[in-house]
Amino acid sequence: MIQESKLYRILRYVFLLAACIFVIIPVVPVVYMAFKTGVEYSSTNVLTPPSNWLNFYNFAYAIRVGKLGRALMNTAVILGISLSLQILFTTMVSYVLHRFEFRGKKIVMTLFTLTMFIPVVTTQTVVFQIIYRMRLVNKMPSVIILYSGVGIVGIYIMFNLLASISKELDESALIDGASYFTIYRRIILPLLKPACTTLLILNGIGMYNDFFIPNLYLRKNVQTFTVALYQFFGSTATPFEIVSAAILLGIIPIGIVYLFLQKYIYYGLAGAVKS
Amino acid sequence: MKKSKSSRILIITFLILPILQLLVFSYIPILCNLYLSFTNYKGIGTPLFIGLENYKRLLTDTQYIKLFKNCLWYMLAAIPQLVFAFVLAVFVNGKFRGLSVVKSILIIPYLLNGVIVSTIFIIFFNNSGTLNAILDFIGLDSFKHQWLQDLKLVNPSIASISIWRYYGMNFIMFFGALQTIPSELFEAAAVDGCKKWQEILYISIPSIRNVLFINILLSVSGSIQVFEIPYIMLNGANGTVTPVIQIQQSAFAENRVGFAAALSILVFVIVLIAVGLQNVLSKKGDKQR
Repeated sequence: MIQESKLYRILRYVFLLAACIFVIIPVVPVVYMAFKTGVEYSSTNVLTPPSNWLNFYNFAYAIRVGKLGRALMNTAVILGISLSLQILFTTMVSYVLHRFEFRGKKIVMTLFTLTMFIPVVTTQTVVFQIIYRMRLVNKMPSVIILYSGVGIVGIYIMFNLLASISKELDESALIDGASYFTIYRRIILPLLKPACTTLLILNGIGMYNDFFIPNLYLRKNVQTFTVALYQFFGSTATPFEIVSAAILLGIIPIGIVYLFLQKYIYYGLAGAVKS
Repeated sequence: MKKSKSSRILIITFLILPILQLLVFSYIPILCNLYLSFTNYKGIGTPLFIGLENYKRLLTDTQYIKLFKNCLWYMLAAIPQLVFAFVLAVFVNGKFRGLSVVKSILIIPYLLNGVIVSTIFIIFFNNSGTLNAILDFIGLDSFKHQWLQDLKLVNPSIASISIWRYYGMNFIMFFGALQTIPSELFEAAAVDGCKKWQEILYISIPSIRNVLFINILLSVSGSIQVFEIPYIMLNGANGTVTPVIQIQQSAFAENRVGFAAALSILVFVIVLIAVGLQNVLSKKGDKQR
């Protein structure tokens, strides 16, 4: 490594400090507000810290009136099912496309590749009609079906790992009388676990944060967290201090996930780019 | 060879559902959209063929041209966003005290959803909000504005949010790419008495040129699909409607499905060009390597 000059190191600290301030400043007033009373909110500057850091009234109110607990549960159920299905399908498709030669394989591969050219936002006029005719609007399966599609990025992440799993392993199992399904189930699937983790995190964050799809299909009955939060402050003109508390509540789950899986996020994303 | 029948069964059972999902929710809808875009379909009844009428309106009516002009603000915001992300990645790529803390803070915006980001920035741009309070605090009262009401300022204001929201994604990609550069390159450069800025200019940037291009094109295709921030913050008011907000309004509020389909196709074509270019470029890059 090249010796970093003193100037460079100082420059680095100054820049990184500025960057961190840039990131944190917009969030600070939200944290303050969540602990302020209504009177305090309207009488103090946004940059003034709350007088009582133990004022949890706003949080309790947000949970009770915003039905955010329920919404978080809905999100958890949708995420659980969608991610399981999506990852399962991705391993299945990848196994078949990587290990077998068959007629039409090129076409199948092209089909999966070209979907990345079709943005979700450009198909919903028609997809909504389809979901509507399936009578799934405002029901969880609508979003789950849309989320469980297999993406090309996922396939490539699996391919990377499959390439390192020796084909001789498959063949010797075949000679021992194992069926193809057993090979997939007993050999391939367990070895694909790291790739599954990467996919789980990448797509999990994406689905948890998605607003577009649930806002179209789950406006009533089973709202996800993002939709509930949107309706909470959008339609009923909820005071900002309550909304701020709700926001902090929404950050908690993802904050916990992040704390435990930080390194996977960095390497997962970087790996996805490489492939 | 006895296994060939069982392998065929496995191939079919493993592929059928994912392919069906793909066809029903991606390919058939986009083809239907193409057909509907030449009609005046209202969501019910029979679609009436009207040729290129929808496209003609989209490309001549100033109200709809404005949709794409609004996107330009988001593309403009992508420039400081990418520069910021790249400089950050260069600085973070190394060993120093506080590295993990910095990384944890820098990734925060990437983890937040559109509703949370929008609310944070409603509070930020409000008349008595964070930005005006800061301007007050440092004595720049004259720069205070009604950021979200002023028709000249609202689009650049909310477009600038995307810098804060999306730089993290670019940063992680750049950072990951920088880490894949073989360390021998840097060692050789060090032996030759290379300076840090030379290292960045002649080793780092050329090595990750591909990833830089991909990120630029991702920003272009993202700008054309902007939805959440203007929709959640302002519901498209004050002239902040984007193509995707217009698609939703036309299709679901005004029942002009044919028109919405035409706009969808237009967005699709622009994304197609951006993603297509990205693929061609990254393939070319692979060959060079």
